[in-house]
This record gives sequence, structure tokens and C-alpha cells, in this order.
Amino acid sequence: MSEIKLVFTGSLGAGKTTAISTISEIPVINTDVATTDKAAQRKEMTTVALDYGELSLDETQKLKLYGTPGQERFEYMWPILIKGALGLIILVDHASADPLSDLALFVRYFKPYIEETATVIGVTRTDLGVEHNMQAYHDYLQKQDLQLPVFTIDARNREHVIIMIQALTAMVEFA
Amino acid sequence: MLAKLIQPKVTPLLERLLRDCDDIHAALVVTVDGNMCAMQQKKNYTLERLASMGSSLMSLGDTITAELKMGACNNIISENEQGIIAFMHINDKLVLISITTHKNALGMLLSHSRICAQNMAQEVGDL
Ligand SMILES: Nc1nc2c(ncn2[C@@H]2O[C@H](COP(=O)(O)OP(=O)(O)O)[C@@H](O)[C@H]2O)c(=O)[nH]1
Ligand SMILES: [Mg+2]
Repeated sequence: MSEIKLVFTGSLGAGKTTAISTISEIPVINTDVATTDKAAQRKEMTTVALDYGELSLDETQKLKLYGTPGQERFEYMWPILIKGALGLIILVDHASADPLSDLALFVRYFKPYIEETATVIGVTRTDLGVEHNMQAYHDYLQKQDLQLPVFTIDARNREHVIIMIQALTAMVEFA
Repeated sequence: MLAKLIQPKVTPLLERLLRDCDDIHAALVVTVDGNMCAMQQKKNYTLERLASMGSSLMSLGDTITAELKMGACNNIISENEQGIIAFMHINDKLVLISITTHKNALGMLLSHSRICAQNMAQEVGDL
């Protein structure tokens, strides 16, 4: 059985914790605590160390799913969690005030990994009626000289998350 | 913002902790989600980043303790070549981090910090 480590990152409330608990076949390890700052308006709980879940794609492949905290003050956790990862998922909350700069922050930070590691972008919360342009993500990535697949997903939807993960693991195999 | 509210309530107690216990060289109060409430020190450590780091560690402690069904996590101790760091809950929203550079001061560090945490819990009341 081969084990593949994947990391979910992206800004606060993009759906990292939700996506991992949606697809994990083991009870997830969760380090969410009460939010005590202005983020409380958006979320009651926030991840302060990591999320961890597992998913077997078939008899030969087990995915180890790690989630990072989203706030920059937990940036020191990012290199710890990315160590040994073969795939990176950057989730973007489409309904946030400025989803493009959210994405840019994580692209900038993980650039060295993105260049060496299979990476996909997952745009979440597109059902909330916010008028942001999907094309803007592609334009931004193109400007960065990055060819990354962009998926529109609902992190609460198992099928959505699995399709994105399967695309990512296919990229891992070809890398 | 809870951290701002808490700051004036816990600062005098942090000052007292450092005054009462010679061996404690720095102490801080942080929220469980990694915001700094207050800090005091006798050295010149850079403590800012300890707020988020301390909250990560405390939550991992709570998570591991829950995994083993050992009740509440009382404290996490980091014993190092050049000192000891203790992390403990004040209540479910706040964490006390205390630091000594003496390798032999674990008992002192824990007992003073525990009393301080209890006093702080009383001082801030229900959040
Ligand atoms: N309406 C809507 N809500 C979503 C979607 N994806 C995720 N969510 C919700 O957005 C929140 C994301 O929170 P969480 O998973 O804790 O985010 P994290 O900070 O990235 O870990 C949760 O309340 C999810 O139920 C989506 O596509 N549409
Ligand atoms: Mg999370």
C-alpha cells in the first residue's frame, strides 16, 4: 500500500477542516478552538495546529490528509505540515472580501512547493451569491506563470472533494 | 476582541507572578486561538510569536489527552537545555505560558503558575 501525504491550505473559513472531515474514513484529528477575535463573526471555531484525516482511494493507495491553520499568525505551522507532502490543495473562499489576494498570499508563500509538488486550487462557497469572476483566478495564475487546475467545489460535498483529490493524485503519479 | 478586554485584568497578576517567584523569567497570557493578551518578562525575549505557538501546543495537548481519555490536560511542560516552559489553561478561552531559565525550577514554575492561573480564572470570571 502506498501512502500519499496531501496538504489542504488556504485562508480562514475556506473549508479546509470541512473538506477533510467530509472525506476522511477515520475520525479526524481536529485542533479547532473557539475564535476570540474578529474572525468570530465568520466562524465559531478555528484550527490552531492541524487537521488530520485518512482516505483509501483503493487497496493500493492511502491518502493522509493534513489541514493547516489559515491565519498568517500560524504561518510557522505551514512548513512543518508541508514536509513530505506530494500534493497541495489551496482552497479559496469565493465569498470572502478579496478572494484573489487570499489566493495570492498562499501562492506566494508556497511557491517553492508549488513548483515541485502537484497542486490544485479549490474555489469554495460559490453558491453564496457573491459576484466574483471565476476567470480572475485563471488570469492571476497565468500571470504567475502557473498552470494549475481550478475546481469549483463545495467543501461539504463528498463527491466534489473526491473528484478534486483524484485529479491531484493523478498529477502526483505523473510527476 | 477578547484579548484587549483581558489585558488589564491579568496584567497585575502577571506582574505579581514575576515578583513573587524569582525563578520565573517571563510569563504571558494568550487566547486559545493564538492572540496575545498580556506579557511580562525580566529578560528581553521576543515573545510575540509565542501566542500562536502556545495556542497550537495547548490544543495539541488537549487533543492528545482526549484521545487517551485522560480527562482535562492540566499542563504541558517543555524541558530544554537552557530552561523550562510550562503551558496551562486558565479557562477554556485563555492559556498561561510561563518560562524559567533554571533547569531545576520545574516544581517552583508549576506551583506558582498554577496558583496564578487560578487567580486569573477568578479575576476574569465567565467569558
Ligand atoms: N455555503 C457554502 N458553505 C460552505 C462551502 N464550503 C464550505 N462551507 C462552509 O464554510 C465553512 C468553512 O469552515 P472550515 O471548514 O472550518 O474552514 P477552514 O478555516 O478552512 O478550516 C463551514 O461552515 C462549511 O460548512 C460551500 O461551498 N458553500
Ligand atoms: Mg480549519
